[in-house]
Amino acid sequence: MRRLAMTSFLFGSCLALLLALVPIAEAQDKPVEVPLTVANQKFDPAEVKVKAGQPFVLVVTNNDPKKAVEVENKDLRIEKVVPAGKTVSIRVRALKPGTYVFVDDFNKSAQVKIVAE
Amino acid sequence: MGATFVIVLREGFEAALLLGIVYAYLAQIGHADSRRYVTLGATLAVAASVLMGLAVSLLSGPLADVGPDVIALVVIFAAVALLTWHGWWMGRHARELHGDLQRRVDAAHASHQLWMVGLIAFTGVFREGAETVLFLWGLTTQLQDLTGWAALGGAAAGLVAAAILGWLVFQGGRRLSVQRFFGVTSVLIMFLAAGLFSAGVGRLQGIGLLPGGDPLWDTSWLLDDHGGAGSFLAGLIGYRARPSALEVVAYIVYVAGASLVFFPRLLRRGRRGDGVVERPQTSRV
Repeated sequence: MRRLAMTSFLFGSCLALLLALVPIAEAQDKPVEVPLTVANQKFDPAEVKVKAGQPFVLVVTNNDPKKAVEVENKDLRIEKVVPAGKTVSIRVRALKPGTYVFVDDFNKSAQVKIVAE
Repeated sequence: MGATFVIVLREGFEAALLLGIVYAYLAQIGHADSRRYVTLGATLAVAASVLMGLAVSLLSGPLADVGPDVIALVVIFAAVALLTWHGWWMGRHARELHGDLQRRVDAAHASHQLWMVGLIAFTGVFREGAETVLFLWGLTTQLQDLTGWAALGGAAAGLVAAAILGWLVFQGGRRLSVQRFFGVTSVLIMFLAAGLFSAGVGRLQGIGLLPGGDPLWDTSWLLDDHGGAGSFLAGLIGYRARPSALEVVAYIVYVAGASLVFFPRLLRRGRRGDGVVERPQTSRV
């Protein structure tokens, strides 16, 4: 019983801590939204420019009626599933100038280049 | 078909390896009968993954955007905390393993370890679980033609292949010398927790809640963390081919702090200056 209580306490406090972080993140300047759509295993547009040094939000809309996509960039520690027909916002940290390739982990041939400059 | 096979195998690989090791460990310490705790942890993780997959499919808006991140972070950091607490408990009780107390302590160890192996199984399966569920979910909606069925067949074969790999690890682990296996488990759990901690920090950097994130070094030419041995090490001890500075710091700080917690004897031995050889039981999990 004690163990169960301790476990729930730990999970609870972690959750509380993280939920406390959410408003802090929200309070920062509203990051720029970068819209992207996926359909027929292709990202549209296939290349996006963003400002270097500023966090942004990828707003990915999956227009495929059936297939989920997993937007992934291992280096940026981003792995997010966008189910068929859904739109999901993905926070991306401030990037150094350069080109970052995001792939659909469920179908590696679909890629989008994010160019930070 | 080939593509879905590879995807499911990759997602299931780490979980299968981890489960194989945990099952082998239980067989080694003569608690094969308590496998059900591992199975329970893994089953709960599958159920949680399905729930999360459903939630992501059905919900939308901020809850669907941030929810999975928050839940993943909670699971990671809570697992680190629990594993650390477990290590502290084992370290504290290790020295009681003499004389009449031994049987009582053994019993306590047994229940403690069951609980912990269940946790490791849960974390291992849940980490990639929701993604796999969503992927499979997408496949089942395409079953009206032959390619759809072929894709699902490939995915099923991928799951089976992952399970076979886990089973091979289980068979191999069972045959390892018992002494050696005992000797490394506490250390292994410490590195497992360090890897989780570092991964949690990396995720926080990924969503911009912690600063930095650019890779400190790149060892992907030597050992890539995407497949084979690299992926095995990634799942087990948190190997990263391109870690950020903060991830490296988190890993080192965790190992430094945790080794004092896990192995309080290191401190005492240094103080007394004698070289007591640790009994095999001390590192029992």
